[in-house]
Amino acid sequence: MTWLGIAALGVLLALPAVVSSYVLTILIFIFFYAFLGQAWNVVGGYAGQLSVGHAAFLGVGAYASAVLAQEVGLSPWLGMFVGGALAGALGAVIGYLGFRFGLRGFYFVLLTVAFAEVCRIVVNNVEAVGGAVGFYITFTGDPRQFQFRDNRAWYYVTLVLMLAATGIVALIERRRFGVYLAAIREDESAAEALGVDTLRYKMLAMIVSSFLTGVGGTFYACYLLSLQPNAVFGIPLSVEIIIRPIVGGSGTLLGPILGSFILTPLAEVSRYYLGQGGWHGAHLIAYGVLLVAVVLFLPEGAYPRLVRLVRARKRA
Amino acid sequence: MSTVTRRAFLKATAAGVAVVGFPLPLRAQAKTVKVGLIHTVTGPLAEPGQACRAGAQLAADMINAAGGITSLGGAKIEFLLGDTQTKSDVARTEAERVINQGAQVLMGTFDSGNTAAIVPVAQQRRVPFLVDVAAADPITANVAKSVKAGQQKVQYVYRNFPTGSSFGRRAVQYFNEIFKETGQNPRRVVVMHANDLFGSIQAKGFKAAWDAAKPSWEIVDVIPWPEPPSDLSTEVSRAKALKPDIIAPITRPASAQLLLPELIKQRVEVLGVISPGSPGLYEAGQIAALKQDLEYVMDNVPWPNFKNPKTQQVAAEYRKRTGGKTFDTQSGYSYDAVFILADVLERAKSTDPDAIVDAIKKTRFSGGLMVYGGPVIFNDLGDNPNAIPAMIQILGQKPLVVWPKDAAQEKLVFPRPKR
Repeated sequence: MTWLGIAALGVLLALPAVVSSYVLTILIFIFFYAFLGQAWNVVGGYAGQLSVGHAAFLGVGAYASAVLAQEVGLSPWLGMFVGGALAGALGAVIGYLGFRFGLRGFYFVLLTVAFAEVCRIVVNNVEAVGGAVGFYITFTGDPRQFQFRDNRAWYYVTLVLMLAATGIVALIERRRFGVYLAAIREDESAAEALGVDTLRYKMLAMIVSSFLTGVGGTFYACYLLSLQPNAVFGIPLSVEIIIRPIVGGSGTLLGPILGSFILTPLAEVSRYYLGQGGWHGAHLIAYGVLLVAVVLFLPEGAYPRLVRLVRARKRA
Repeated sequence: MSTVTRRAFLKATAAGVAVVGFPLPLRAQAKTVKVGLIHTVTGPLAEPGQACRAGAQLAADMINAAGGITSLGGAKIEFLLGDTQTKSDVARTEAERVINQGAQVLMGTFDSGNTAAIVPVAQQRRVPFLVDVAAADPITANVAKSVKAGQQKVQYVYRNFPTGSSFGRRAVQYFNEIFKETGQNPRRVVVMHANDLFGSIQAKGFKAAWDAAKPSWEIVDVIPWPEPPSDLSTEVSRAKALKPDIIAPITRPASAQLLLPELIKQRVEVLGVISPGSPGLYEAGQIAALKQDLEYVMDNVPWPNFKNPKTQQVAAEYRKRTGGKTFDTQSGYSYDAVFILADVLERAKSTDPDAIVDAIKKTRFSGGLMVYGGPVIFNDLGDNPNAIPAMIQILGQKPLVVWPKDAAQEKLVFPRPKR
């Protein structure tokens, strides 16, 4: 397994030398959504607290670093941590409200959605950050401004983001913290009865998760150069964030990555072959059907299934 | 005896030399110019995005049927179609894909955010990008800024569409001109607007332009509503209390169907309802739903110049192709963009990106079908200052251009007759 991991890393490091800028862009988004999925995984997968408002953290991080860069001249290299901290603070507020008052299941889902919607509406009405028109970032291609002329640089940026988030999750998984989170997910009352400070660990998970998502916002802002409240705080983006770890296997270390490597290419292939004329939206129908198929055949997620297959083969 | 005369020999030789000596134009006969045509074909902005695509395709078919780009040996325009799904990340990926498939020029996208996401790709890969529809000022202005600051060498992004700020300026100008033309002197204007992307752009631009122009009339209040609204009676009674002479609404289709009947219901007596810019107010579905409530309402929108007989022909062809759709803002501007591009390529005589950019900068094109304030040119921001909206008015249940005067299909009716 270790050797397999090293080989995979080697391939990923070498890929930009051989593939086109188009394939690089696809890989960049695979890594980026894997990163966001991994961040969500901490609270949604390991702790089992279903947040459907993670776009809010991305939005806060993105707006914070973009506005600081354009208006104050603070480099996004620093701004991304300011954005992350603000997102973490927002996560703490949402987490405290939810966990302190015992909102579980659907009620927690509603709380997270409500907060994201509040953020969306507020930013829509704040003229200083562009309101509904959105906030536009000047393309300079200057690395000090966290902008790169070459897609290969962006590739490594997102690869590092994904690996770093995965490293953090791996650390959590191996520590007591990870075990507590799993206990909370499986049976919160039992965990509490055994003396796990559930409020504290759920809060910690929420803060780590929202901080990481907020850091990702800087990439979104600097790579796509404009922020619209409806796009970055909207429910569709929250769903994009969640769907990859769910398909790949939520609460597993490699689930979000696997999910991203499955879903992004599926979307791309269906658009490549069906998105060029003929019926508008045929590619989305195809993608939807493929998605249903994936969920039907891999109800527990792709990664757990893969692990079982490998084990069965070893035994055979 | 041989019948080859000296003249015939010379002719044949000349023809032979032409074939052997200039093989490039001949070989280019089969060549195409590949254009990445990327729009919001699915997602929340699917309908206007599809109209853009259809308008562009009609234009390309006409150019190709007429022999393609002559200076490139009759090269045909070939579209590589892209769909942003109204998402910025997909927009960027689609731009990379079409360039990978050989796109030499990009066009798109209707949505300003999606368009901004393509800008760095166009700049990095050195592929000229002609924005057909998208209003946010920074799309081109930010590139011009970074070129000026020396962070970028060449600007590859140009736009033939009224910018957000120019919308407002024109609206204030048309208000003034219409008041003067009709000898009216309204004092109090109440702006009411949908608080979404379009509504906010328009309201902000209108207010800013009014501040700058300081006309004789006053904006006494700006009343927003969340879009889509469930009820607008409070907003309307607030407006009524301000004793307005003019209601300047910025609506979306959903809110127009609440606002206009409510203005009648509450008997808000005004000289006119003049929108600084409401997308979709003129569509057949809206007119059918609002009927008399929409009569005499004016709307400031980029609009085809139907006084031009060519526009009538193209609109008829467009209606035939699309199963009855109106040739409108989106289809019209995308159609014009393809003809501008053809004109640019004709003059560039090459598909080299820098040659295309040089030709774009020297553009003086007057074959457009939209209402323009002059020939299509590109200023140092990369925008066409002559891309202007027109004031249309619903008269006899039809949207007709009433201002500027030289594009007017019908005389404007102001103040509106009392009901």
